[in-house]
Amino acid sequence: MSTFAKIGGITRLLANSSISKVNNTCKLRSLSTTPCRRELMEFFDDEKNWGVQEVKSGRSWKSDELRLKSNTDLHKLWYVLLKERNMLLTMEEECKKETRLFPSPERLDKVEDSMKNLETVVRERNKAYHLLETGEKGERPRKLETNVLGLHYKYKMSEHPIPKHLNTKWKKQYEFYKYDKEVEMFREKLNEKNYLAKKKQHRREFNHVIGLLNRFPNMDMEALKQQYPEVDIEKAKNSRKYGGHFEPK
Amino acid sequence: MSTRWYPIYQKGGPQLRVFLPNFWLKLIKPTTEQPANIVQFSCSMQMTKFDIKNYLEKIYNVNVVDVRTRIAMGKTKPDPGKGYIVKEEDEKIAYITLPKGEVFKFPDLFANEMKPEEERDKALKEAKEGHNKFLEKNKNRPSLPGWFNI
Repeated sequence: MSTFAKIGGITRLLANSSISKVNNTCKLRSLSTTPCRRELMEFFDDEKNWGVQEVKSGRSWKSDELRLKSNTDLHKLWYVLLKERNMLLTMEEECKKETRLFPSPERLDKVEDSMKNLETVVRERNKAYHLLETGEKGERPRKLETNVLGLHYKYKMSEHPIPKHLNTKWKKQYEFYKYDKEVEMFREKLNEKNYLAKKKQHRREFNHVIGLLNRFPNMDMEALKQQYPEVDIEKAKNSRKYGGHFEPK
Repeated sequence: MSTRWYPIYQKGGPQLRVFLPNFWLKLIKPTTEQPANIVQFSCSMQMTKFDIKNYLEKIYNVNVVDVRTRIAMGKTKPDPGKGYIVKEEDEKIAYITLPKGEVFKFPDLFANEMKPEEERDKALKEAKEGHNKFLEKNKNRPSLPGWFNI
């Protein structure tokens, strides 16, 4: 209470410049002051940055740095970043409308990058907390489903106030796979297409390896095997394409 | 709500709270003349009127009396290179009414911008200075290439 009163007194005294010199000798924590309320002007950059060619800025926040911060700090930083992004978007829009170049557009990328990093850190903490408390990750549950065309996809599950069999709207929105002759035909053809593409790719790689062996006979075989794991090198060496147009030694 | 996924709200349940909203808000210059206490914004499509009001009041400390929104349809036009029809994104536009007596004027951001001649002169001056510096550095070492340095 007493410290509070002291600080209150000093702030009052600071307004009077003649007495403020006396108070500088006092041992005090640095006064925390809130920044002045600019309200709607917070949507615009500093006035000195208006109409300039370049605005210097630092780098984005790394996730390793953010991991050291407390939850409250992250929460505060999020709003700082959010405001910064709004400001940059506003300035960009205005520049676009006035057909000017937006100075240092990389600032937007930096802010977005920081926001992404911050979100991953918060998500990590959330996951850890949920795993500790409930044994589950606490993320939105997903399930592998098959759609009407017979293709697999990750279905994002959500909560519904009414059960599945009564929910006509949901039924209309999400059509899952039911046996259909034409869909089966489509799937067959799709599988064939994928299979042929894979085969073609494999054949191309095989021939490429033979070409490499022809051009560079003293190549590092381990490296080759590592780069083309699908290709059987012994088989490639037995191919009729292997070896140049000359008599073998 | 922000664009993230939250558990369903049912009567009696706890109030949904947004801790890290990812909505964006752009202050835009009104194309037509507006009363002095009306501010125009472009916002995330998912934002409701309540979201906009709360966003401005809690994050920006702006008092909001009224919010009106509309969705402006993006223009449909032929692609400049290819000629096929492309449609621009729709955008949500919000008109905010400030309390009586408060006035907001969109600032002129390009008032103290450099004129093209000034810009050109500045670039020329910088180039000259750079060249002089280079000459000064190589004065005492003739016939050495410019890249030779320690």
